[in-house]
Amino acid sequence: MAFAKQSGLRRAKRLLPALAVAAAYAALPALGLGGYWLDVLTRANIFLLIALSLDLYSGTTFYLNLGVPFTVGTSAYALAVLNKYYGIPVEYGILPAVLVSVALSFAIFLPSLRVRGAYFAILSLLLPIIAAGLVTSLPLSLYLGGEGGIHYPRLLYSYAMSLPVSERLPYLRLSYFYISVAAAAIAFAVSYKVAYSDFGFMLRSIGQDELLAEASGIDTLRVKLVGFTISSFLAALAGALHAAMTPPVTAEVFVPANTLVPPLTAMILGGMGTIVGPAVANYLVLIVYEFLWGVVGRWRSVFYMSLLIVLVLLKPQGVVFYVYLRLRKAVAGMIGKIRRGA
Amino acid sequence: MEELKHVLVFGLFHSATYLVFSLGFSLIFGVARLPNISYGALYILTGYITYALISQLGVPLYLAIPASILATIAASLAIGEVAIKPAIRFPVSMFITTMAVAYIFEEVFRIQMGLVPATLPYYPGTTFVLGIPVSNHWLLVVGICSLMVLALLAFLFKTGTGRAIRAVAESWEESMRLGVNPLRVLRITLLVSGLYAALTSILLVPLKALTPTAGWTPLFAAFAIVVLGGLGSVLGTAVASLIYGFAEQLVVFTLGGGIARVVPLVLIVLVLTFRPHGLFGRGE
Repeated sequence: MAFAKQSGLRRAKRLLPALAVAAAYAALPALGLGGYWLDVLTRANIFLLIALSLDLYSGTTFYLNLGVPFTVGTSAYALAVLNKYYGIPVEYGILPAVLVSVALSFAIFLPSLRVRGAYFAILSLLLPIIAAGLVTSLPLSLYLGGEGGIHYPRLLYSYAMSLPVSERLPYLRLSYFYISVAAAAIAFAVSYKVAYSDFGFMLRSIGQDELLAEASGIDTLRVKLVGFTISSFLAALAGALHAAMTPPVTAEVFVPANTLVPPLTAMILGGMGTIVGPAVANYLVLIVYEFLWGVVGRWRSVFYMSLLIVLVLLKPQGVVFYVYLRLRKAVAGMIGKIRRGA
Repeated sequence: MEELKHVLVFGLFHSATYLVFSLGFSLIFGVARLPNISYGALYILTGYITYALISQLGVPLYLAIPASILATIAASLAIGEVAIKPAIRFPVSMFITTMAVAYIFEEVFRIQMGLVPATLPYYPGTTFVLGIPVSNHWLLVVGICSLMVLALLAFLFKTGTGRAIRAVAESWEESMRLGVNPLRVLRITLLVSGLYAALTSILLVPLKALTPTAGWTPLFAAFAIVVLGGLGSVLGTAVASLIYGFAEQLVVFTLGGGIARVVPLVLIVLVLTFRPHGLFGRGE
């Protein structure tokens, strides 16, 4: 789906709506949004990276990578270990943690050299579940803190401590929100660019028919490897940022119900491989998730998994992306009408 | 020497239970062509139902066991209708649906039962095997497991229904051409595999604590065994169960139970690297 080259001005014009949405979103705190709901949005911004990671690789190639919590979790643990045992502050630990995690994540990719489809999916699911067991049992638990996890000072903590007591929490909240917004915006731009480039087209061709793609001269191994690396990078960044903002890190990050089910639901609800759909669906899923707490309490994750089954069976092509296309068409039509009238 | 004896005895015992569990798993795997991720959930389902009936409602053991087995079979058939049958042609869909079912069970038991391990009554007393004290319950387990394996073999190779199951596992289209209804066969395999998962659970839960996440260990073991033995080969599954049981117990006794979680992963990766079709599996 490579687009023809457009002139600079036209491209800037195309970007306008996206920039407007991003600006409005970033201005939310100035409009008075704060406290708990700002934390929810920060979390949603970080989960956007996971949803994009899943959609960019699994949504296009149909190699369903259920090992995403492994990437997220190893990155979070790497950050904590770097801080606790090597004294690296979390601010500087994020990038090394991401690199460590991406390197370890090739353990997920390795089996896909040999197997396809369902085999790959179940093998990738093995890793996070094993990792969750490993970090809480001997001998690793001695080193990684077991069920209690690893404690460390959070991101920007030392600076926040120099502020008056009443300003500390609002300062941290606001800066975390903007850091996560920046990460989400960059991740979205990168994913969109990759998914709709010639390279993204190659990823999709693997999803359609890998043998045919190879016969057409696509180096499928290289394409898969690069795609997987970009995708792991996003998930690892999400893990490191999340860990840096909400210590302590515990085995909960490896549990697929926490770090896989919401992004997976977002991907299916949004429309696999469309990037825009899962991104919007991610916010829908996570914000509705907060409201559900009041309605069904602890049963909300059961509710989401049931929703996932229903969606997969009845609307496997997704919902949000098609609503988005319809809306875009309607808006374009309206603008056209106004212009013609003027 | 003492440790080696432990590995031999307990490796053999574990192999027997893994064999029963993975035979049920490979039946579904063969017929549906895809691993049923929710199979481990049936294991915890039986355990918790029996536990709830005995400990919380005071139902006698001889009534609680058949009741929970029937409930598990019903659950297995329901999972088939909801999560497997509609998705059978789409690997990605079936994967997500069965995984979601597994997590629904896990969450429900996490909410209802908490994380405190549950357990079931066991057959008391100890016997010495090769000079090692072994709970009599283990001997009962091995006896019943052997009977279950023989029963399944007889069912698969001596009855018409068994032949139909093997035909569908061989080729869905061909079997339809020969007048077999694959969806009926799928229901029968769901029933049998539900029964086998339930029996494994009732036999094994008294020896291992039951937690909401306890279903994953046997599921991964079964998956590793089926991959190692080769899909569709009963002999392969038997040999692979032995290898898996001994390998796991060897790691447990030398490196500890925590590290033993890695055994299925390492085995699968080794098999896929050196013998992608498994020990007894046929090539494409």
